[in-house]
Amino acid sequence: MIFRAVEDGDLIRQASRGNVEAFNLLVSRWEKRVYNYLLRLTANREDALDLTQDVFLKAYQNLRKLDDAARFAPWLYRIAHNEAYSMFRKRRPESDVADLPPAATDEGITVGGSPVFPVELSLAVASALERLSPEQREAVTLKIYQGFKFEEMAEILSCPVSTVKSRLYTALELLKTELAPIEARGVS
Amino acid sequence: MSCSPFDLKDYYFEELGGPERNEMEAHVAQCRACREELQRLRLTGTTLLSLREEEIPRRIAFVSDPVFEPSPWRRWWSGFWNTPARLGFGSAALVSAALVVFALVRPAPVIQYAQAPAPAVQTASAPTALPPADMQARIDQAADRAVAARTKQLVDDLAAERQKLLLVAAELDFASRREQVRTVADLGYGPPRPAGEAK
Repeated sequence: MIFRAVEDGDLIRQASRGNVEAFNLLVSRWEKRVYNYLLRLTANREDALDLTQDVFLKAYQNLRKLDDAARFAPWLYRIAHNEAYSMFRKRRPESDVADLPPAATDEGITVGGSPVFPVELSLAVASALERLSPEQREAVTLKIYQGFKFEEMAEILSCPVSTVKSRLYTALELLKTELAPIEARGVS
Repeated sequence: MSCSPFDLKDYYFEELGGPERNEMEAHVAQCRACREELQRLRLTGTTLLSLREEEIPRRIAFVSDPVFEPSPWRRWWSGFWNTPARLGFGSAALVSAALVVFALVRPAPVIQYAQAPAPAVQTASAPTALPPADMQARIDQAADRAVAARTKQLVDDLAAERQKLLLVAAELDFASRREQVRTVADLGYGPPRPAGEAK
């Protein structure tokens, strides 16, 4: 008997032929990452969870349109990006989404129970991220937390690579300034 | 301003190709300022990563219900028509087939000209053959009758036209006389006017 890891491409092909279990396996691999990406965008757990469900439902409905299985991740995040901004527009139809301030949260985004980093550090990072513009925050999320390449980010955000780099590098400069006092206290 | 040959952030995010990356490694090893800047970038990245990913509060799973599951035929059919090109080609083929069927079922209408009713002679018994002399005599008689009828018609028409012309001439003569009388009256000729009437 030969064991081998089932690649996403195999699951995508089976799911596109109507195999729901294969798609569920695909969902279990990606749901946490997509949820956290949407959580960074919305700063609201309920919204992030609802949007995550919508994203995977839409992905299942349109899976046959995905030509290259290797491009599944950017394609999935593109759906997530569109769903999130569609929700923003519905809630604030009269204002430009790009001008929306980040959602204010009293508690911030908490760390998932890790004892390595203190809670105040997580709160400081969450607070610094919230001060960024939505585009900058999304660029940081896609690069730092999701590990996408610039070309993939450009595909997800539907903008040139130069724009992606500009947003990310500007955000990094702001974050360096914001987080400098925290870093000075010792993060290794 | 950075003295590095390439963007230090590109190097930090591992977005440089092999040769550029090697060049940057050599430069960072020699340049203290770039080394410190790179260290600051790494520190910021580490700080940002202190914000760990959260577990999703509720797992997502889809249930396959056979009631709503499309049959293999339906899946193939929906997959086949998924692309707009196929849809357009199929529509064009359907219209073409409809035109062919229409042409076969309903051929082009034949234009039928109005025909004179068949003479009774044709439907009745076959005409009896006449000798040529009699035939010529009959033809001559028929021609004479036709010429006489036509001549009479012309004479009648001429008489009618002459009558009309006479009427028109009488009208013109009457109008001319009336005009002359009016002219004489305007010149002051005529019966004497009563006394005291202003001129």
